[in-house]
Amino acid sequence: MARLIRTEKEVEGRYEEVWLVVEEDSLDQWPAGPREIVGRDAVRLDGRERATGQAVYTADLVKPGMLHTAVLRSPHPRARVASIDLAPALASPGVHAAIGPGDIEQLTGDCTYQGTAVAAVCADTLAHARTALRAIACEFEVLEPLLDPDEAVRRGSLLGQPRERSRGDYERGLAEADVVVEAEFRTQVVLHNSMETHQAVVEWIADGIEVHISTQYIWGIRDAVAQGLGLPPDKVRIVCHYMGGGFGSKNGPDDYTFIAAELAKRTHRPVKCALTRREENTAAGNRNATIQRLTVGARSDGTLTALGGEFVNAVGWDGWSSGTEGPMQMLYACPNVKTTTYGAKLNLPPMKAFRAPGFVEGTFGLEALLDELASKLDLDPLELRRRNHTAEAPEGNEYSGKNLLECYRRAEPHWERRHEVRARSTDTVKRGVGMASQIWYGGGGPPSYAWIRVGSDGRATVVTAMQDIGTGTKTAMAQIAAEELGIPLDHVTVTLGDSDRGPYAAISAGSSTTPSMGPAVRAAAADAREQIEDIAEQRGLKGASVADVVDVLEDSQILGKGARGPNPAGMQVLTFGVQVAEVAVDIETGEVWVERIAAVHDVGRVINPLGASSQIEGGIIQGIGHTLSEERLHDPATGRLLTTTLDAYKLPTIADVPEIVSELVDEPDLHLTNLGSKGLGEPPIIPTAAAIANAIRDATGADVRRLPISREEMLRALREAEARQKEKVGAPAGV
Amino acid sequence: MELRRASSTTIDGLPVHGGTEVVPLLRAGLLHAETLVDIRGVVPRDIAPGRIGGGATLAQLECDPEIPDVLREACRLAASPQLRNMGSLAGNLLQSTRCWYWRLNWPCRLHGGDECFARDGEHREHAIYANDFCASAHPSDVAAALLALDATVRTTTRELPLAELYRLPTEDDRRTTTLEPSEVILEVTFDECDRSVYLKAMERKRWAFPLVGVAAVRRAGETRVALAGAAPIPWLLAEGLDDATPLPRNAYKVDVARALVKRARATIGA
Amino acid sequence: MQLTVNGHRYDVHGEVGTTLAETLRDELSLTGTKIACGEGHCGACTVLVEGEPVLSCITLAHAVDGAHVTTIEGLRDHKMIDAFVRSDALQCGFCTPGQIVSAVALVESKPAPTTEEIRHAMAGNLCRCGAYPKIEEAIRTWQD
Repeated sequence: MARLIRTEKEVEGRYEEVWLVVEEDSLDQWPAGPREIVGRDAVRLDGRERATGQAVYTADLVKPGMLHTAVLRSPHPRARVASIDLAPALASPGVHAAIGPGDIEQLTGDCTYQGTAVAAVCADTLAHARTALRAIACEFEVLEPLLDPDEAVRRGSLLGQPRERSRGDYERGLAEADVVVEAEFRTQVVLHNSMETHQAVVEWIADGIEVHISTQYIWGIRDAVAQGLGLPPDKVRIVCHYMGGGFGSKNGPDDYTFIAAELAKRTHRPVKCALTRREENTAAGNRNATIQRLTVGARSDGTLTALGGEFVNAVGWDGWSSGTEGPMQMLYACPNVKTTTYGAKLNLPPMKAFRAPGFVEGTFGLEALLDELASKLDLDPLELRRRNHTAEAPEGNEYSGKNLLECYRRAEPHWERRHEVRARSTDTVKRGVGMASQIWYGGGGPPSYAWIRVGSDGRATVVTAMQDIGTGTKTAMAQIAAEELGIPLDHVTVTLGDSDRGPYAAISAGSSTTPSMGPAVRAAAADAREQIEDIAEQRGLKGASVADVVDVLEDSQILGKGARGPNPAGMQVLTFGVQVAEVAVDIETGEVWVERIAAVHDVGRVINPLGASSQIEGGIIQGIGHTLSEERLHDPATGRLLTTTLDAYKLPTIADVPEIVSELVDEPDLHLTNLGSKGLGEPPIIPTAAAIANAIRDATGADVRRLPISREEMLRALREAEARQKEKVGAPAGV
Repeated sequence: MELRRASSTTIDGLPVHGGTEVVPLLRAGLLHAETLVDIRGVVPRDIAPGRIGGGATLAQLECDPEIPDVLREACRLAASPQLRNMGSLAGNLLQSTRCWYWRLNWPCRLHGGDECFARDGEHREHAIYANDFCASAHPSDVAAALLALDATVRTTTRELPLAELYRLPTEDDRRTTTLEPSEVILEVTFDECDRSVYLKAMERKRWAFPLVGVAAVRRAGETRVALAGAAPIPWLLAEGLDDATPLPRNAYKVDVARALVKRARATIGA
Repeated sequence: MQLTVNGHRYDVHGEVGTTLAETLRDELSLTGTKIACGEGHCGACTVLVEGEPVLSCITLAHAVDGAHVTTIEGLRDHKMIDAFVRSDALQCGFCTPGQIVSAVALVESKPAPTTEEIRHAMAGNLCRCGAYPKIEEAIRTWQD
């Protein structure tokens, strides 16, 4: 029976209250452990078309008569367009239309960050569009930008109110502490750098609009485009069959979709608007920088008595102030916690969600701080974490499931390697091992729907308007349907990527696709299976295979439908894990290399171990880039960006990858849906930076407090540690 | 724009060989040309002991057992595999700085302007020597190797020591090479050496320009050490690194260079 | 201007300055070759020219007049494709054609490359999803 409920919905750590129509989840979970198909390795269904280049991404789409767009973006962080003349662009060869400030809401002469869209031109070729764009006469009046996050906080230039969260009595907790450690951590701006840049192909067809777009959220784009253009949502068709990476940056339509829509309207042609790599790294989002001023108090046995922090998220001009304080609030049993989080509004490009926004940064600060504490108390870092483990959620609301202690247990053999690793140090190359814990959301939620059809050949097609952003969810859905129907995996296909062809499906963000969509797909398959069982009974074929039961159906089809049930009321659905990193540090040159990372995560039931291991590896490798080499720099005086190309912005290459060992606890979350699965997209990137920083401390005694750990930062930290050591040695005995 | 294939060493236009530098610079608007001249047909590319055609690719050189270690290793650690397949030895010597201000076409001194933005701005990857006028760093690993080898360059018009191929930019002349507009490098020669090595510090293990590259060559008891990524041109080290003039945010490069020079000298038994 | 692409000869047009990647994608509709950075930094556009992996996004089409070009479309039956699929050596797949072109060139000259050789030869193909460990595995096991 359909049921209307009011519930909390979480995406990327942000909660909102929503009305939902849900159906009861009447299926029992499968028993724990691998099934026939679910829980076993499956190669991705669409691997071949992606590998051979046959998959048509938005970037590859060509429509008859399609025009190409170039966008004029402000080169200045803060400026006013003093004058602009589009006429020379319109007179340029091949140009069909040009639009400027005010023509649509997304184009403006009031530039508040570098990359603000000012004008756009469309032409028969991209080369013509770019030539025309250069012909636009645009004068900027450059204004003084606000770039310093602390200064923004002082001036009250904030996005949202400062977020105060506290429990217990922080001051008393500090007073009760035998040891207090304070440290300031800084993290840098990191760029998503999806290999396919943000882009859309827009065409007006009859009284509606068709948008092919590289997106993580077909239905969100549909709503945003409908609202932005004043159209009924069912006149908006969103298509995304393949997309080339998003990592959180492709959840909305952004300026380029509306630019293409306006130009398509004016020219009566399909229009493509694709960002260049430099635009991508300027105006398509980023992981914002943070400043974290943290304090921990503990008794001499390691019991935490107080945790406190002031967090400044350097959000940029727009976006939101993400939960950088989340790990400090949620990870440990500490009774007294007090945090304040500011979102600094700056003349820098807006942040966007980037794979566990806030928690990646906050975990680096918290978990490095805890190791500084462990070092002061001469405690084993893993033991320190065990002592402060909490079985009950410190903020109320019980956990739907938590196996963090099991993760710690399974991490032990990796942790034990530290003696042997350290012993391999030389005079100039020091080796060490560090660890860090992970906490994050990842439970997904309703609504999400799936249909399924089974033909007389015993083959099934899952139909749902979701997207596979490269995580392999298409394959996971096929596994779930095949398992439930009891048919071979290669008898299932999945049709997705088109809002006109299938029911509503969840966003692919916040580690939510599998836990949101999986239960709906299983419910749809169960609906079909029950119908097939009815037919089997009528044919006297009870217990026969699906193929045998349906083989007389000819053109008849079995149609099933399924909906995602609600999340468990009054419970927090969270993911947990731990990573252990082994590093080597060349103490003369400051070079750091990661030699091995072991990851153990608890994300409920695992659908596809092969795909899951790929997700973990990918998260860790992005984490290594974040930790060691990636940084978006801006000129300190003008705020103009300096590292927007892939020579200057250094993503990890294959040569930078350590040995990666991954393991999943694979215990279904018994309270969560008919599947017990949580998401895995984000958890693996969360503890990587802290684990590496802690391994560096283990190897060298140096406290690195700033990402990326460049040679400059590494050599600074080594010098500081050396000075500290000298001080200690030089101090009179007994002090 | 037109593209002509050179039929002689008289080049009338912008010479292009592998194109790995010229093509991106043309497309980014940092270079302009009416006529491109494809010189692949007229530049030798053969490799003989002590003599290398300017058209030899880095990929050829990185796996040639006959050339000195310093040069082979510099080629092996340069750029990316595809760029090494495309890029020529001569082109590599003539590449422009990776200074982000220059690459983004800020009106800096190298572009004829009156300011070095890096000096007061972001200069963590910039020069630690000869950086008072322009703090750009020369990115060629190969040039440092050949400078350490004391190589000679033969061009379409003359022969000159490699060291004289380069010049520091000045108020009056912002160029970093002494090559005339249509002059093309045909060949590089050098004498045999006893031992040599190239060590490179970069921000990832492969496919990065040098933060510091150290080329060291020992020949008849004498050692020559040259640095990449340390000055606006390939830099011959006089003594130690005590005379370096780092900027506030790149002093670390002096430490890195010092450590690598020590190791390089030890490796070749200097 | 003439190009031989995957064994077929084409007369192609386009102004000087047009890149090989643009010619392949826009004129010949061979969109398996991707453009991800457009300035020679990422390797997504890798194709073989006379058997050598090059960056088609910074190769002038006119500079390869008369050359033999192999794109991912010409490698559709290569065992490396199976190896990539089998090993889960791709996630979003946008860099994958370029990865496979580089990998094929490697194993054509060294059928059983070492880990070090794989890492050296593949370092110019960036993968933001981080499929690298599985790419390495695919290349190690491509003949299986």
